[in-house]
Amino acid sequence: MEGGVGLATTTQPQQPPPPVVEKLNPKLEKELNLESLKTRALSLFKAVSRILEDFDAYGRTNTTPKWQDILGQYSMVNLELFNIVEEVKKVSNAFVVLPKNVNAVNAGILPVMLSSKLLPEMETDDNAKREQLLQGVQSLPIPMQIERLKARMDMIAAACENAEKVLADTRKAYGFGTRQGPSMLPTMDKGQAAKIQEQENMLRAAVNDGAGTRLPPDQRQITTALPPHLADVLIINEAGKIALPGQSNNFNNQGMMQVSGTQFMGRSAASPSGPNFDNTASPLPYSNSPRATGMVNAPSPQQQIQQQQLQQQQRAKLMQMPQHQQQLLAQQQQLRQTSMQGLGQIPALHDLHGQSQQKFQTLHGQHQMSYSQPMAAAHQQFQARQLSGGHIQHSMSQGQLNPAMNRHLNQFSGGANSALFTSAQGSPSSQMIPNMSSMQSQTLVPRMQQFGVSGTNPQRSHSSQMLGDQMFNSSGMMQTQQTQTQQPQQQQQQQQQQQGGYGNMQTNQQSLQPNNMMQNAQQRHQNPPQ
Amino acid sequence: MECVVQGIIETQHVEALEILLQGLCGVQRERLRVHELCLKSGPNLGVVTSDVRLLCDLDQPDPTWTVKHVGGAMRGAGADQISVMVRTMIESKVSKNSLRMFYALGYKLDHELLKVGFAFHFQRTAHISVSVSSVNKMPKVHAIDEAVPVTHGMQIVDVTAPATPENYSEVAAAVSSFCEFLAPLVHLSKPFISTGVVPTAAAAAASLMSDGGGTTL
Repeated sequence: MEGGVGLATTTQPQQPPPPVVEKLNPKLEKELNLESLKTRALSLFKAVSRILEDFDAYGRTNTTPKWQDILGQYSMVNLELFNIVEEVKKVSNAFVVLPKNVNAVNAGILPVMLSSKLLPEMETDDNAKREQLLQGVQSLPIPMQIERLKARMDMIAAACENAEKVLADTRKAYGFGTRQGPSMLPTMDKGQAAKIQEQENMLRAAVNDGAGTRLPPDQRQITTALPPHLADVLIINEAGKIALPGQSNNFNNQGMMQVSGTQFMGRSAASPSGPNFDNTASPLPYSNSPRATGMVNAPSPQQQIQQQQLQQQQRAKLMQMPQHQQQLLAQQQQLRQTSMQGLGQIPALHDLHGQSQQKFQTLHGQHQMSYSQPMAAAHQQFQARQLSGGHIQHSMSQGQLNPAMNRHLNQFSGGANSALFTSAQGSPSSQMIPNMSSMQSQTLVPRMQQFGVSGTNPQRSHSSQMLGDQMFNSSGMMQTQQTQTQQPQQQQQQQQQQQGGYGNMQTNQQSLQPNNMMQNAQQRHQNPPQ
Repeated sequence: MECVVQGIIETQHVEALEILLQGLCGVQRERLRVHELCLKSGPNLGVVTSDVRLLCDLDQPDPTWTVKHVGGAMRGAGADQISVMVRTMIESKVSKNSLRMFYALGYKLDHELLKVGFAFHFQRTAHISVSVSSVNKMPKVHAIDEAVPVTHGMQIVDVTAPATPENYSEVAAAVSSFCEFLAPLVHLSKPFISTGVVPTAAAAAASLMSDGGGTTL
């Protein structure tokens, strides 16, 4: 290309040489396009200084810069610099580098830097690459080599182009690379949008209003099995309707409901008539007296038979009712029964009075608590039902959860840690003992009843087994009816007080263990062979 | 009283929403499986029908019941300026006898829903609960196992926070600022106002999922 820097000098003899103005070859000058280069350089300078100012401001005001702005500025600077360099490169061949600062340090390296020959290692690299490239085509004549190489280059160029395209498409789809953010929103066609709108309305209406989820009235019967969380809440009668237990026409059911309701009340509040057990009460001591917690509206003796007949029915219902209610019901029924059955036992009460007094004193520390349950048939040798009833009431009124009592009990029950109504056990057992002693001073001898568990409910532990084991005398037995709790553990602790002659506490406790296994043992009380 | 917003999200984006919520809330997600029974009082019980919702949480080994009454929303100019719905709400845990009790009182079953999904409960100025669930209806009464979704490809997003009359504005502000974080995936609004889906939810979901959306291109 045109080389050479022309020197045009004006010389004047015998005058100090005028300043030599070096002018470039005009053509080169045009090529250099110095004016535009100057403006470009100036604008670049301005851009960089602006950036510096911005950073200054950020630093002073402690604001965080926005990435997009800064990126924009930087890329502008980058672009401008690039353009300038390109321009200069175009004409740089017309110039040679003239090192300005030559000193001792860089004098040695300058020749190497100025030379255009490759460094030795670079040279070998170059050769190796050349070898690689020309591998396939070395043998061919030169034009063909050129062709082949061109073809290769074209292929590579095409591949690069495709890659660029893919990258650009990706950038567009995600909005990267464009500083304005996602410019292309995925558009939904009208049909899709309408569908979505419709679905949304349906969903929102269903959640907020229940629209679309209501069943027509004729389908509102319950036909399929209830899920577990509803199974014990709802009772389905034959018509497939949801029945409340109180809705059935069974008197006893109603009675149960009432009774159990009052049972609750009786349990939570201390009965005012607690210790006032009156052995001389009327034949139906529990029917309407306030002492008989939950015995309001208890059926008359004439209905005792009816009750027993209905007990089977009730047991069926019991299975469906929640545990605690079952317990309550059972207790109620037991109370009722015992009240009925105790009628004939009043005389027996009295002559066991002394005995029970004795036993209270002796076996103070041994307690057994049994959970009384409805008896199926007439094992009506329960004695001191009145007493026990009163006592039960007493215990129930005191049936507050008393963990200390519980522990106390548990100690005594030995191996059989029948956590009776574990918590509820408020087992006034220990509480009862002092009461009993106090009661002894009264005419009433708190007798405990033992009822065999004849229920179909496997959860009731059975005192019957214990009874069977031992030579329980009714006189020797004392049980408290515990207030019900919804305890999953149904083992019972039986409190047993026996006369001195019956040293079978051990066996009794051992028999506690398989308590839960017994299902239908009936229990018999027998009068002590006195 | 509670502040509540609702939104919808397509089922395909639910997983991404879960990841986003996990990052925002910082708590573990809890499974949600609630049988909701809506009971309505009959005309014999009063001039104005009242409705009561019984929620049974089936997720626990022992189902727990909650009774909930949802009241009317706040109205007026002030309410229009708040971006969340503020409404009275009374909630209480109850025993499982509650259903029978309501039947005994004379309430009838109006409709029932089964909501299956997950929920996050966390504290951010207010105690906020976010739940994402698919709403199912039952073809037969109480037939939970046969529940089918009301809308198959869409789930509902519920953001609620309990409030008192004294602090409801702060709670509302907390809820709405939290909802902004969910904007890439779900538009949230007051319950009876429909919003549509977020158009760019797919892109946002793809970026939230671990392997990115690169393969889908």
